[in-house]
Amino acid sequence: MAINLTSKKILVVEDQAIMRETIKHILGAFGARFIVEAENGINAITAMRIDKFDIVLCDYNLLRGKNGQQVLEEARFLKLLPVSAIFIMVTCEQSQEMVLTALDNKPDDYLIKPFNRQQLLSRIERCHARKKYLASIENEIDNGNIYQAIYNCEKLLQLDGKKMRLQLLKMQAELTLKVGDFKTAEEIYQDILHERELPWARMGLGIVAFFLGYYDQAIKIFQDLIEQYPVMLEAYDWLVKAQESLGNDEHALSSLNSAVLLSPQSILRQKKLAALADKTDNLSLAKKAYTATIKLGKNSIHRSSGDYSGLANVYLKSNAASEALKVLYELNQQFHNDPEAKIRAALLETEIHQTKGNKALAQQAYNKAFKLSEQFNRQISRELRLEMAKVFHLNGNGEICDEILNDLVKTNIDDKAFIKNLVTMCDAVIGENYAETLIQHIKKELVDINNKGVGLFQEGNIKEALAVFEKAIIKMPDNHTILLNMIKIIIHDIKTSKPDPEKIMSAQSYINRAIQLGIPHNQISGLQTELDTIQYKSHQ
Amino acid sequence: MSNTSMLSINFPSLLTSSVHDIKNSLRVLRTLHAQLESIYQDKKHIEFKQLEFEANRMNNSLMQLLTLYKIDFAQYSLTIDEHSASELLEDIVNQHSTLLSLGDIQLIMECDSDLLCYCDSTLISNALCTLVNNAQRYCLSKVLLSATQEDDYVVFCIEDDSSGYPENLLTSDCKKLPELDMTTGNTGLGLFFAETVAQLHVQADKQGFIMTDNNSRFGGSRFKLYLP
Repeated sequence: MAINLTSKKILVVEDQAIMRETIKHILGAFGARFIVEAENGINAITAMRIDKFDIVLCDYNLLRGKNGQQVLEEARFLKLLPVSAIFIMVTCEQSQEMVLTALDNKPDDYLIKPFNRQQLLSRIERCHARKKYLASIENEIDNGNIYQAIYNCEKLLQLDGKKMRLQLLKMQAELTLKVGDFKTAEEIYQDILHERELPWARMGLGIVAFFLGYYDQAIKIFQDLIEQYPVMLEAYDWLVKAQESLGNDEHALSSLNSAVLLSPQSILRQKKLAALADKTDNLSLAKKAYTATIKLGKNSIHRSSGDYSGLANVYLKSNAASEALKVLYELNQQFHNDPEAKIRAALLETEIHQTKGNKALAQQAYNKAFKLSEQFNRQISRELRLEMAKVFHLNGNGEICDEILNDLVKTNIDDKAFIKNLVTMCDAVIGENYAETLIQHIKKELVDINNKGVGLFQEGNIKEALAVFEKAIIKMPDNHTILLNMIKIIIHDIKTSKPDPEKIMSAQSYINRAIQLGIPHNQISGLQTELDTIQYKSHQ
Repeated sequence: MSNTSMLSINFPSLLTSSVHDIKNSLRVLRTLHAQLESIYQDKKHIEFKQLEFEANRMNNSLMQLLTLYKIDFAQYSLTIDEHSASELLEDIVNQHSTLLSLGDIQLIMECDSDLLCYCDSTLISNALCTLVNNAQRYCLSKVLLSATQEDDYVVFCIEDDSSGYPENLLTSDCKKLPELDMTTGNTGLGLFFAETVAQLHVQADKQGFIMTDNNSRFGGSRFKLYLP
């Protein structure tokens, strides 16, 4: 046997006591000593908070509360699972419906009930072997060092025979997509397709086309895939994105709706469907999707007070104020000590009372919202802050509205989609040109800061240049230009002074941040190479 | 027509719901069996193993029925990917491991661990599982499970030391369901399923297919599934 269970920490999540016994018995017979049992999702999460498990066997159909998929999502979200951990989902059926529900969070493997001891062991062994083989890549991904992960991928590809080749190529392509190196990703997918028509490689080409902005071409690829493989949900998800990017919300809505019909248990798709239906004024569909999202959210990490206020607003739009009030009640019941939920509730209350003509009550609710927003200001999501800016403006609090919008533009200037939403809102509510002027003003401010920093740098005043950018980055952590200049100066600083591991680490963490923000490959890869060269030299 | 009222039952959909019902019951039954098995695992109860064997057989048949239904109504979505042939075979052997532990039948596996195949692994392993099941039923003592590369095909092969396939299952056109042989109980469903599934696998101008003969290395029947 390739794996020794004696030293492994194992968690068995299963609602049937007798089944837990059976599994424990099998594992025990193969040397396992450290086995923790959980009969439901909450206990499973608690157990994972206490111990770092090597192996989790989790039943999908847990009788009460979270299902197996929700346990997995929450564990990954809270980072309770080490990268090396094996998560095996135990299901009753090869039923596609359930397996397909998984969107981002896939388990390492599935195991179909009932299984005998040999089947269980062989599943664990295989996962273990695969994890161990891919560890050098997965560890780097976990640390955010994507370029290093790609390099390790290439190294394994050079070493290895054909057995893992396709899996490694798939990983490599996905990683190059992540850093925005679309050309390499396209080459990998083309080479694979040259050998054999594989759906995921074909989809990869569609994704490349999407990122390069060839939306029509991408849509064609995704549609062809769906025709050939009608349950390939990822193809639907990308199709929706491409159609949205073309501004074709109606088509996107219909594609998304088909995907939701295939996977009604996927909360993230339901959530997106609700938002899109709401946006395109398909009120009955929005109602249905918001309701489904709320229901699925009860046991999910993806639950949000926004789903409740969304549903209530749809009711308000369809002149059903009393229904909206019921949702508001439910919202207050479900969320305690959550500032976002409290603000949403107050805003909602304001609108409901306004609709009903209760001026005094509306004012009271508005005051509550106002106070909360002052208290929690920046801790609140940007979407809700945008919403609040609108309400403040409509209620004559222009000054605070300006303040929020100014801050939102400053921190999100590089996020085109969000800025577009902001402009749309401003044009509709405050007036044309308002947003444009604000954006121009902030862009100028940015240029000034940047020029000042670069000027200091060129004068050779590295310390002060760094100070300028460090100050700016605290205010605008997501700004691409500032981030890139910051990295450039740190690297220059390292090169001209003696090697300092701390500075190298700081440069690497800013590069990882840049990748996360989606700054294109051609702007980052050069900096990464420079940093790698410095590190290589300092190790010699 | 006088039979209209009868026809409106819509037999295909009735059949699928019944199959789902039976499958659910069977699942409970199999789970219970697995639990009993682990409670009494120190004693060798031959009845347990036989129970598992029959339950697996029933489950496989029902799965095939449902899959064929979906294929017939164009509802089945293939999931083609690269798989290790030896892992696929190992899974089949593992599924039969309880029964094999009885020791009177040998299930031998022969496969290069580097051999890769391109297929919908759920479908292919389902097809092979049923046929391994059948081989176990008819063999004297040995079943050989193997996979090899033959030109542009990966060939899965099941050989046994039985008295061989009856005439009606040899060389016959498996695209049609053979006549039910009441005396032997041979339905040919397993072969029909394997043929249907094999044909779904296409690469360039090549298509999957099956072959049956009695040229097993042990003198019994031999089944071959070709994947392009």
